[in-house]
Amino acid sequence: MHIEAILLLTLSGLVLVALLILRGRRGPRPTIRPLPAFQDLRDETGRTAERGGTIHIALGSGGLNGEDAVSSLAGLQMVEALAGDAISCSVQPIITVGDPTLLPLAQDVLRRAYERRGLTERYNSDQVRFVAPSPVAYAAGAANVVAAEDVTTNVMAGAFGAEVSLIADAGARRTLPQLAAVAAPCAIGALYPTTDHLAVGEELYAAGAYTTGERHYLVSLVAQDVLRVVLVLAILGAAVLALVGG
Amino acid sequence: MSRLVKQWIPILIATITGLVVLAGYLLPNQLLTYYRGRLTEWRDVLVEWAVIVAAFAFALGLFNILRVHGGRVVHLRKGWFYSLVLLLAALVAWIPPVLYGPSGTQTQQMFDYVIGPLGASLAALVAFTLALAAFRLLRARRSTGAVFFILIVAVVLLGSTPFIGMGWLADARDWIVNVPGMAGGRGLLLGAALGTMITALRVFVGSDRPHSEF
Repeated sequence: MHIEAILLLTLSGLVLVALLILRGRRGPRPTIRPLPAFQDLRDETGRTAERGGTIHIALGSGGLNGEDAVSSLAGLQMVEALAGDAISCSVQPIITVGDPTLLPLAQDVLRRAYERRGLTERYNSDQVRFVAPSPVAYAAGAANVVAAEDVTTNVMAGAFGAEVSLIADAGARRTLPQLAAVAAPCAIGALYPTTDHLAVGEELYAAGAYTTGERHYLVSLVAQDVLRVVLVLAILGAAVLALVGG
Repeated sequence: MSRLVKQWIPILIATITGLVVLAGYLLPNQLLTYYRGRLTEWRDVLVEWAVIVAAFAFALGLFNILRVHGGRVVHLRKGWFYSLVLLLAALVAWIPPVLYGPSGTQTQQMFDYVIGPLGASLAALVAFTLALAAFRLLRARRSTGAVFFILIVAVVLLGSTPFIGMGWLADARDWIVNVPGMAGGRGLLLGAALGTMITALRVFVGSDRPHSEF
């Protein structure tokens, strides 16, 4: 195991984020690269309200105590942004989770979104639903929500595998606008044919920056981009060194 | 006081717990051997606590299912019959483990002959939905990217079948999977790893507060 390398990378990321957070509090807002998947996301909420239905946000089968924890947190950032817009438009979002550890956190994020808009009395904890702990059963249950309830926009963000195609298929059958942000390669392949906007790989973790526009998200996205450039240069450098060294 | 309890204490707990668990995994052997041993102990205790909390979360999940589907049955809302079937199935699934224990023959039979095949059937559906999605793609989005996607899928699928005299297709499949496929997959994984690290760091430094009221 390359523990030293992991430690070095983590520390450099920590220092970089800390510096950017300190610097990011002043001066002009950080500019970020355009990402088509998230550009229409907030407008879509408005269109959902116009269509008179609701928005379904599937957070996948990841929880808070496994390797998918961070993907699930990134999905929650989308809930935070979309739920706020949806509530402002009198749309009651439905959120489905496939791991019970994510349930109280998703409920809390939704409750806070209602509270921020002074509409606490409209919050219903049943809007966040635990479907099933196995990924395929979760996908089938969430697909049923898309198919049977008054959903007019389908968003999938979080930890998914190829089984996400069951949810996307349910949305495609009803010709719903579908947006997805996933990191796993098998989920990307499954979603590409059926979604209108797809954020792949590290773009999932950029969701907060685009959907909320908050400064700390923008700053961390810049840090992420800088680290990626450093990583690419390191890989290229290592390849050139390997070529030169025979 | 309220702000202290609702904001700073959760951030402090999350940051310290995260750093202790991370340090327990990352600190190298040569450095601080004694502290590493201690850290590993603390890490294991914290992970154990997380498992206990997750077990309680399962109880919450069960209550959530009962509330959502129970409410649908009581108010006879759309799909109430399926909710009733779900509730009855959940109730029946409790009986063998309670009567015969989690490793009892009947419990195992329930897993082997009911839950296992049901899960496998659902998983088999995934292949059909993927094929259907590819077909829909050709109808809905006639772009260069879509055609390229379908072409690659066709070559990889056909290259995986044992057609006589189609060895070149198998070679093409191997090349696609091992060269551009592998490179793309690794690129995605590296990007996702960076995103994971930055998101986790945001939680550690208290910049992102999913657990806090503010």
